[in-house]
Formats: sequence, structure tokens, C-alpha cells
Amino acid sequence: MSSRIGGPLVAREEQKLVEGLLAGNEDAVRALYARFARPIFTLGLRLLGSAEAAEELTQDVFLTAWRKAARFDPSRGRLSTWLMTIAHNLAVDRLRRETGVTRPHLVLMDELPEIPSSDEEEPLMERDAAMHAIESLSDAEKRLLARVYFGGLTAREISEADGVPLGTVKTRLRTALIKVRRANQDKERP
Amino acid sequence: MSCVEVREHLPEYSMGVLPEHEIAAVERHLAWCAGCRKEAAEFGSAAATFAFALEPAAVPRGLADRVVARVRQVAGTSGTARRTRATAALAVAAMVTVAALGWGAAMAGRAEKFADQAALAEARRAAALQQFDRVLNEIKQLVPSVTLSQDETHLGRLAPTAGRAGGGAVLQLVSPTLLDFAIVLVNGLPRGDVAAMPYRVTLENAAGDVLKVGRISELDANGGADVYRQYEEQDLSGYTKVLVRDASGDVVLSGTVDQSG
Repeated sequence: MSSRIGGPLVAREEQKLVEGLLAGNEDAVRALYARFARPIFTLGLRLLGSAEAAEELTQDVFLTAWRKAARFDPSRGRLSTWLMTIAHNLAVDRLRRETGVTRPHLVLMDELPEIPSSDEEEPLMERDAAMHAIESLSDAEKRLLARVYFGGLTAREISEADGVPLGTVKTRLRTALIKVRRANQDKERP
Repeated sequence: MSCVEVREHLPEYSMGVLPEHEIAAVERHLAWCAGCRKEAAEFGSAAATFAFALEPAAVPRGLADRVVARVRQVAGTSGTARRTRATAALAVAAMVTVAALGWGAAMAGRAEKFADQAALAEARRAAALQQFDRVLNEIKQLVPSVTLSQDETHLGRLAPTAGRAGGGAVLQLVSPTLLDFAIVLVNGLPRGDVAAMPYRVTLENAAGDVLKVGRISELDANGGADVYRQYEEQDLSGYTKVLVRDASGDVVLSGTVDQSG
């Protein structure tokens, strides 16, 4: 199972990796792990607050991806998005279960703890594109999206906390996401 | 919910903070509205960007091996028997092909709860079954190393019991040379009925012997799911009755596999 290093996967490569995952092909699982374990683990660390929970999340993401692999459709979205959505949803579900509330109380950490050195990691190609997309936002938009995605705040809660009309918060959220979407589309495969 | 209302919720939905009762309403809409589904996917992609923008943390040593071991364990590929690998390859090919054919969109199980749409639902199930039939032909191209007789693969379809919604289909491999397997796909089960889950899928023969296929504890936006089981020592001959029961044991979907052809 080979995949090019240094560039995004094309749809056919993504489909082959997912087929390999479904078959339990070790090369495919390792290729996916090498590309995506680090951002998944990082997200888990950021949201769940401990390396142990982040590791459990990482394993759960790959198992969930295996279970859902037959339904992955590269024409409807990138593999990276699919996996990170699984990761975010699992983390949020876990927080909901553990806190017993209808919305998660996500941990927003200023500094991530040091973890012993890693293995089998490749450079994170998606990070450059993500940083580029984030740069398209104003500081206020970055803070707003971070409060929602990492802080777990709803538009209504932000509206009440900031004394801003709910409709305004929703419009700002939508505008910010559209900016990121456009920046992403600039980087999309043809 | 109208498209305007749904799109107002999509930013929060895509970022995982929409309240539960609104998630259900949004997902019911997304199940049939391609335009809103497209926007939801694009916002989901934008939201995922934030995860990638985080300063990367170091992953613990050895996690790769643990992930590989767990996936291989659940995928049933820890053994080395050629038969097992061949069967797994066939199932993979079938499921990938099912996905590529847009199976979920074709099932239209939602329509069955409306009596006046029963005929439409029936027609769509028949169309879906035809698509499943195409799977069998494509398997040979996807896994050319495996010889598969058309006589070894059998199809069946699932219909809702009285007062229930949904539908489904079954693909069985009953082979003298490969490990038998069953794939059951369902669609249109009520997503909002949390108490009904997990659903349990079983096969039965004329003597009343029961074989488990799997459990369904999560439904997609179409009320759909798929379960797959490969039988190491069990011959599926005669196990033609397929039942899907809810958590209280009531049969919600049933059907028969035609093993004669």
C-alpha cells in the first residue's frame, strides 16, 4: 500500500486506503495511521485533556472508520475530513456521556502536556493547508470558531455571554466557516 | 424544517454543538435534501480544518501497533488461512461496491410508512435489489484472484413488519470452498427511536436454529446501517430466514434469501 509523501492523497488513493482498512490490511492501516494519527491524537488531547483519553480516542477513531469504511465516498468529501469528523464527534460524545449534559464542556488547554517521543509519524501535510485557511480569518473570527469547536459553546451561549444578538452570532459563524471553506477549495484537488 | 432553517443550524451542526433535539430535525432533512447535505459536508470540512491547525502533539510510542492490532482483530484478518483472506476480500469488494452504487440513497425505506407510497417503496426496493445484483458481477473484476460461482451467492430482501418502517437487503455467500458470509443492509429505520437500539440481526433455518449476523447500535442519516459476519465453521445452507429485531425483541424487518438459484 503506497501513498505519496509530500502531497495530498487523490481520490483513488483515498479509496484504496479505505478499502485496505476495511480488509484489515496492515499496510493500509499503517499508512492511514502515519498520515492521520497525529492530528487525531492532538485533537483528543486538546478536547479530552489527557494522553490516556487521547490514545483511547485514536484507537476508537480507527475502529469506527473500519466499521464505516464501506460507506466512505471520496466524491462527497476528503478522507482527512471524514476521519477528523469522526474524531471530533467521538470526543464530543464521550464528553457528553461523562458529563451527562446536553452539550459538551470541552477542555481548552493553553499548553499541551509533553508526551514521550513518537513513532511512525510523517509530516502533517494537511497542517499547511489548515494554517493557510485559518489565516483567511480575522482574529475575532478565529476566536469565535475556537470557542465553538474547542470550547463547545453554542451560538446562543455566545450571544448571551457577549451581549450580541443571536442572529448576529449565527451570521458571523456562518461567514467565518464560508471563508475557511473557500480557502480549502482553493487547495482542493481538481 | 425548511432549507432556510436547516442552513441556519448547519454551522453549529458541523461543529458538533447543536442541541440534540435540533440534530434529529436537521438530520431528517439532510436525509433527503442533497443541497443542504452538500453544504453540511463543506462546513464539516471547514470545521475539520481547525483540528489540523492545532500545534501537533507527539503520539505515544507503540500506539501504531496497538491500532493495527485492534483493527486487524475486528476485521478478522489475524489468521492466515487463504480461505479466510479470500472471503474477506470478497466481502470487502461487495461492500465497497455497494457504497459506490449509492445503495443508501436507493433504498428509500422512509417511504414505507406512508400507505399510499407503498408501491413506490416496493419499486425502489426492487431497483435496489437489482443494484445489489450488479455487485456480484463487479466482485469478479475487483477480486479477480478468487473464483466465485454465481450459484454461491444469494440475495434476499427485507420488508417492514406491520406498523414498522424501513427495508433492507441481504447478500449471502454459501460456498463449498470459501468461508460463508452474510451482509445485511438496512435503511429507513427510525433514528429518533433510541430505545429500539441495538437492533439484532439473525438468520434462521427451517428447524428454527438461529445464527447471529450482528448488532446495529448506530444508524446513519438515512436510518441505515450494515452488518457483516463471516462464519468460520458454519455452513449457511438452509439459513434463509432473516430477521431484524429491536431491543425489546420485536421483529421490525424480515425477509427470505433465495438460495435456490
